[in-house]
Amino acid sequence: MDNIAGKKSGLSWAVNLSVALLVMLWLFPTAGLFVSSFRTADQISSNGWWQSLFVSEQNVVLRSADPDDEGVQLLVDGVYTVQGNLYGEAGKSEILVWGTTSREIDTYTAGETADLGDGETITVQANGDYVWTGTTEMTGRGQRVFATAATPPEFTFENYRNMLFDESNVEGMAKAFFNTLTVTIPATIIPIMIAAFAAYALAWMDFPGRAILVAIVVGLLVVPLQLALIPLLRLHLGIGIGKGYLGVWLAHTGFGLPLAIYLLRNYMVGLPRDIIENAKVDGATDFQIFTKIILPLSFPALASFAIFQFLWTWNDLLVAKVFLIDSTGETTVMTNQIVELLGTRGGNWEILATAAFVSISVPLVVFFAMQKYLVRGLLAGSVK
Amino acid sequence: MKKSLYMGVAAMALGTVAQAEQLTVFGTWLGEEQVTVEMVLADFAAKSGHDVSYVGSDSFEQQILIDAEAGSAPNIAVFPQPGLASDMAGRGFLTPLRDGVGDWIVDNYAAGQSWVDLATYNDPDGAANLYGIFFRVDVKSLVWYSPENFEDAGYDIPTSMEDLKALTDQIVADGGTPWCIGLGSGAATGWPATDWVEEMMLRTQAPDVYDRWVSNEMPFTDPAVVGAIEEFGAFARNDAYVAGGAGAVASTDFRDSPKGLFSSPPQCYMHRQASFIPAFFPEGTVVGEDADFFYFPAYADKDLGSPVLGAGTVWTITNENEAAHELIEYIKTTDAHEIWMGRGGFLTPHKGVDTSKFLDEATKKMNDVLLAATTFRFDGSDLMPGAVGAGSFWTGMVDYAGGKDAAEVAEGIQQSWDAIK
Repeated sequence: MDNIAGKKSGLSWAVNLSVALLVMLWLFPTAGLFVSSFRTADQISSNGWWQSLFVSEQNVVLRSADPDDEGVQLLVDGVYTVQGNLYGEAGKSEILVWGTTSREIDTYTAGETADLGDGETITVQANGDYVWTGTTEMTGRGQRVFATAATPPEFTFENYRNMLFDESNVEGMAKAFFNTLTVTIPATIIPIMIAAFAAYALAWMDFPGRAILVAIVVGLLVVPLQLALIPLLRLHLGIGIGKGYLGVWLAHTGFGLPLAIYLLRNYMVGLPRDIIENAKVDGATDFQIFTKIILPLSFPALASFAIFQFLWTWNDLLVAKVFLIDSTGETTVMTNQIVELLGTRGGNWEILATAAFVSISVPLVVFFAMQKYLVRGLLAGSVK
Repeated sequence: MKKSLYMGVAAMALGTVAQAEQLTVFGTWLGEEQVTVEMVLADFAAKSGHDVSYVGSDSFEQQILIDAEAGSAPNIAVFPQPGLASDMAGRGFLTPLRDGVGDWIVDNYAAGQSWVDLATYNDPDGAANLYGIFFRVDVKSLVWYSPENFEDAGYDIPTSMEDLKALTDQIVADGGTPWCIGLGSGAATGWPATDWVEEMMLRTQAPDVYDRWVSNEMPFTDPAVVGAIEEFGAFARNDAYVAGGAGAVASTDFRDSPKGLFSSPPQCYMHRQASFIPAFFPEGTVVGEDADFFYFPAYADKDLGSPVLGAGTVWTITNENEAAHELIEYIKTTDAHEIWMGRGGFLTPHKGVDTSKFLDEATKKMNDVLLAATTFRFDGSDLMPGAVGAGSFWTGMVDYAGGKDAAEVAEGIQQSWDAIK
């Protein structure tokens, strides 16, 4: 009698562990991106985000003050002296070893004095304080110090500030944000409205050719939308819609409809036949059945498709580029704006990481607000 | 009476406003460079009264085709690759510039005829027309280095390819790594290597051989081309010569590779790259102090002069209106050039500009490299058909850097070229 239903399996710890592992695996890149969004471009290219979380030993090139600048070089007891801190001000980094040429970067330990020749010496302390002295007046640029320093984690909000508040970006981002909403909301509502009607008809109204219609809709699911881009754009230009919001709504509607109809029809077919037949016996018309019975019962499926469609249109770049963004630049969307932030040659990774988290915020709100429907809707059409 | 006069003036003013047109410009510049190009266009807008807007895109090459095909092209398209502009002209998407622009370029640009030739393409009927004007040029034949690291090690700037190779060996003998080479560039991975091969072509072969190679009159499999590829391999496929070893060449991002010049200890001493690369130096690097460049030298014993490889953007009319022609006229003025010169990162073959307007000494020095060229050739891969110059040539060079035989790689590229003929 070991296998009776309801008894907890002894292996449930294995299930829990593997679920935890999968979740970690899934979240790992996101966590990396999140950490990167708080780092500068130079930090990102010099070491990995996982190293940035701990104190790490880094080789850095530091430079003393320029002796040619006024007031930097002082004559103390007959010796020309430049002093200060290599980090500008005593920082949290601790210099372990250092050198004065690029060939030998670890000749001296903190507190030692290096002989630079020509009567010049430099002493560097662990906190970055230095004293550079010479018997004659020193000229040229500041002395380079190659230090190996234990550097504590350092993060910055600069990227977020740059993206959200920088004057050159903020106008474009704000415009793009509202443009994206203008694209996304109608592009979510229109296909749901059409698909709900179609799904009801395909599920509960008897007419010849119904099965073939369903088959065609399912068939359309596998047609890649890229096939339709240029012909559809030509059609839009030909009938005078041109590039613009109407065009992109229609395109998103068209591309989203097969999945919407398929999903909703499968859900509606699974609703209890008795209710609908009872309503028919009581004299309800198809439209009454649809609005009074089917729609309320299908709410989980409608909501889950709404989430799908919203996420897909929010994150879309291709359809927007083809059907919306024209050469005036007034109709840019968030995704396009983010790609542009990467720069002409695409090197600004820190901005990309930051932009990803800014852009993700709206879909996250939508998802958490509606997630209970998503799970129910995902089971739509499955065995009860 | 006076009132009607005022009204007349008002009507005339309205008349000029009515002639103001909307002008859209589409190019590849984003970020800082977008701000700069918008400054140039704002000056044009202020002078002409037209309503000018600029849009940049990182996928310019694809989007201009979609827009042209669909009939929603911008008024002006700024092509980084003359090869693509030539394709578009051949399909009838470009409007020829007005008569006289060509003569003006010949008279006012250094090596004027070559700039005209680079922007002259066949229309669908096979007649050659001038379709564009070059505005903003990059010089590629530069080697970047850190003067202070050279000073620490006691190295001198090489003036010939022989010296450069001797210096390379010297650095290895001293226990250093001479070169940083990175080919990674997302979907365009491999392009920095095509520049290397083009440089080597110009340094081992006469300019007309280069031209025949670019137009494929001479096949890729020719010993001259294979030889140039192997010259590149002499640098890039030697584990001792490149930071991280030869295996790292293809996987290092071109934007990250110059950073090795400034690390501690230096990962490398030299980096060959075009004039735009300081944008990817670590923050705070000052060109002229922390970093500098020298001309990528030619062989002293080959008597090929001092060839310079470059690239540039060509401004074309993709959707004709009067404002578009006026913008082309505006580009001829020195104002347009000087605005961008003052913002940096801009070289120009225009002989009339005031060189004191360059942002810094470094840019001025770069422009001198450009003007001192005995031979100027445009980046060959940008002139080849897209499937080769932005396709098999890139991937072929990645294969070569990964250890594939040069002749085999050349054979593969030639096959892809034959396939589109």
